[in-house]
Amino acid sequence: MLAAGDSPVHKLHPSAKLVVTIAYIIITVSFSKYQLNGLLMMIIYPAFLFSSSGVTVGTCFRKLRFILPLVLAVGLFNPLFDRAAMIKIGNITVSGGTISMVTLMLKGVFCLAASFLLMATTSIDNLCAALRQFHLPPMMVSLLLLTYRYIGVMTEELSVMTDAYSLRAPGQKGIKFNAWGSFLGQLILRTMDRADELYNSMQLRGFSGSFTYADCKRFDRRDALWIVLWILLFLICRFLDIPGILGSLLLGGFS
Amino acid sequence: MHMADALLAPAVAATMYVASGTAAGVSVHKLRKDDEERKLPTMAVTSALVFAGQMINYTIPGTGSSGHMCGGMLLSALLGPYAGFLSMIVILTVQCLFFADGGLMALGANIWNMAFYGCFVGYFLIWRPIVNSNWFGGETKSAQRLRIIVASIIGCVVTLQLGAFSVVLETTLSGITELPFSAFVALMQPIHLAIGLVEGLVTAAVLVFVYESRPELLMDVDATGTAIGKRSLKATLAILAVVVVVVGGGLSLLASSNPDGLEWALFGNEDANVENMGLDEDNFGVESKAAETAGSIQESTSFLPDYAFPDDDSPAGTTVSGLVGSAIVAAISVLLAFAFGFFRKKKQAA
Amino acid sequence: MIRFENVTAFYENDKPVLNGVSFTEEKGETIGLIGANGAGKTTLMRTLLGLLPHEGLITVDDIPVSEKTLPEIRRKLGFVLQNSDNQMFMPTVYEDMIFGPLNYGLDREEVDARVDDVLTQLNLTELKHCYNHKLSGGEKRMAAIATILVMKPEIILMDEPTSALDPKNRRLVINTINEMPETKLISSHDLDMIWDTCDRVILLNRGTIVADGSAKDILQNKELLEDNRMELPLRFSNP
Repeated sequence: MLAAGDSPVHKLHPSAKLVVTIAYIIITVSFSKYQLNGLLMMIIYPAFLFSSSGVTVGTCFRKLRFILPLVLAVGLFNPLFDRAAMIKIGNITVSGGTISMVTLMLKGVFCLAASFLLMATTSIDNLCAALRQFHLPPMMVSLLLLTYRYIGVMTEELSVMTDAYSLRAPGQKGIKFNAWGSFLGQLILRTMDRADELYNSMQLRGFSGSFTYADCKRFDRRDALWIVLWILLFLICRFLDIPGILGSLLLGGFS
Repeated sequence: MHMADALLAPAVAATMYVASGTAAGVSVHKLRKDDEERKLPTMAVTSALVFAGQMINYTIPGTGSSGHMCGGMLLSALLGPYAGFLSMIVILTVQCLFFADGGLMALGANIWNMAFYGCFVGYFLIWRPIVNSNWFGGETKSAQRLRIIVASIIGCVVTLQLGAFSVVLETTLSGITELPFSAFVALMQPIHLAIGLVEGLVTAAVLVFVYESRPELLMDVDATGTAIGKRSLKATLAILAVVVVVVGGGLSLLASSNPDGLEWALFGNEDANVENMGLDEDNFGVESKAAETAGSIQESTSFLPDYAFPDDDSPAGTTVSGLVGSAIVAAISVLLAFAFGFFRKKKQAA
Repeated sequence: MIRFENVTAFYENDKPVLNGVSFTEEKGETIGLIGANGAGKTTLMRTLLGLLPHEGLITVDDIPVSEKTLPEIRRKLGFVLQNSDNQMFMPTVYEDMIFGPLNYGLDREEVDARVDDVLTQLNLTELKHCYNHKLSGGEKRMAAIATILVMKPEIILMDEPTSALDPKNRRLVINTINEMPETKLISSHDLDMIWDTCDRVILLNRGTIVADGSAKDILQNKELLEDNRMELPLRFSNP
């Protein structure tokens, strides 16, 4: 399990990671569609996290390989619609559509990578501890944890049923019309019984409406520093044209 | 229908967070009065079930393709609107966090589009009035069964139409798409009409099964087929009118502007066929694929100038010098990152 | 001490699932509850726990089981469910173990000390911070027992404690049961396990007690068992 790792990033307070991730996504998305220069700078954050958390880029892209094409497909037709020339490199003219396509794709990939890195370095219970600190209703957080606990159980039960179905219905691609209701319906009935038993088991242990979770680490100076520094850096990337300055310095040197 | 982060402007995303957050706040408040601790385990296992259930494929008769369900109507019929809404939030959150299905920033919008309509509109305006009405000859079991079927189908179709329409609105307001509003609507609504019909049929089949085996599990339904609280014919008719307008709108759009919508949606589903049932991110999310294809197409057809942040007065254009500069920065940062990682590994080895 | 006096129990408007059941279990005794499917074993436990309404008298340490006394009664009883997944609803083993004691108002330090004691007793220390959904079947069963032991109940009820376990884990659970000094009531189809753990056996059939006696007498009585839709334990059935 990725989130069980033990890197400096894993050890940060989950609230700090959550805040920085959200700030990163918001600032990344807020770049306008031709602002490729500035957007490229935003690679700093995922690049830094990949290298310092020990999570590899390969794992990320392998895990996201089914979502990624959708994100990439987003801007594919832009070059067809927006043909106004935007920049010229030697003889090659690059249209605005191409720029905006690349920008959109990058935005999508960056946001995905940032969310992925958050989840790859933070366990669900730590994340929920952060959500509690943000004063989300305790009931919602408990519901999230309880649901997460039973997703595996229900998926297993369902996959057994699907196997049983397909073994008796070779060559069928899905669940046939006449079994639509009973298939999931049966499971709903059993699920309701399970819910009763679960509630009984809570009652028998004195449940009075509250859950107690293991303590999360304290929010310390390092976490605060993590938030401040990253957001500062994001804002610099967003509002100062660093690549432009650098590039013209360099190109200026040659001419 | 899950929207990605890149499809939304931060301001729109924030607005949707506030809207969904308010609805969630009201729901939590309502449930607190209503024996929340008794409901919590039921909500959790039912959400887990719906989450897993979204991976089942239902073969659509005569087409060879298949669809699946998203669950808003089902959950509110089983748990009531408030508990159903909170359960849907949890499902969408897990999808977002663990399967990258829908962005973190777009979560508020996704909750609104998929959970709010399905649970609140679906329950208060469709499920409860229809199930409590005296349609199909009143108080017999078979009449109640028909009412459940009709409520499920209308509910799913209407709420998915509303959701799809919201996706259009949110994207348009974000300035991400410059596709003419009407064309965009004509693209989205028919696809979701088809999806809604399939989801409606599945939901109906499941709820009828539950009704026949354990009717007490359904909201507002009496075991004997007697409606629990009678509603006046007037109110029912008014609601029906709303339903007809929305569905009719969708249908006429389907007929006039985009005859291919249906095939496309079905094809999209078939294309993204999920065979494996395991809780595996690789095989997750059929409906969202079709919907996101739609999203990506409206996305790709934008050709007007971009929406800019009000406080953004830096030049938006990309320049050659800028590109060179950013290439350098990117290269340096990646190199630094790798160097850092390299040293770290060495340290570990030592 | 548990006492049942002419207890009858129903599931909504159905035939009684327990019919005139009477027995007494003394402190420190271990009773095996056996009977075919639907004989009423689980129902008996559920009525004792106050999860199912009953007619007649049930007492725990001379306190009658009723709506009013439920909190007091339930504090004395620990129920290990047949399905550990339904019992272990918290994210980790540790969080599951502190759930009960904290609800009973113990302070955190004492609870933590108890958790460590129980985990050591059951040899489970390395599972403390494991996620419940990652435990194997055997680990889950042992952890479920731990969540009950940590509440220090006076009487432990177990529903099919060895079902779906491999031989090694089954033996582990049997040994654990034998090492627990509490009063125990164990329901199971695993008659060999009952033989290994219980001195006294109650045989149920269709909601009534057909036999109540020493394990020796009942578990070796082929005729009695077969008359009540059961079989001899494997170890006695060899020709």
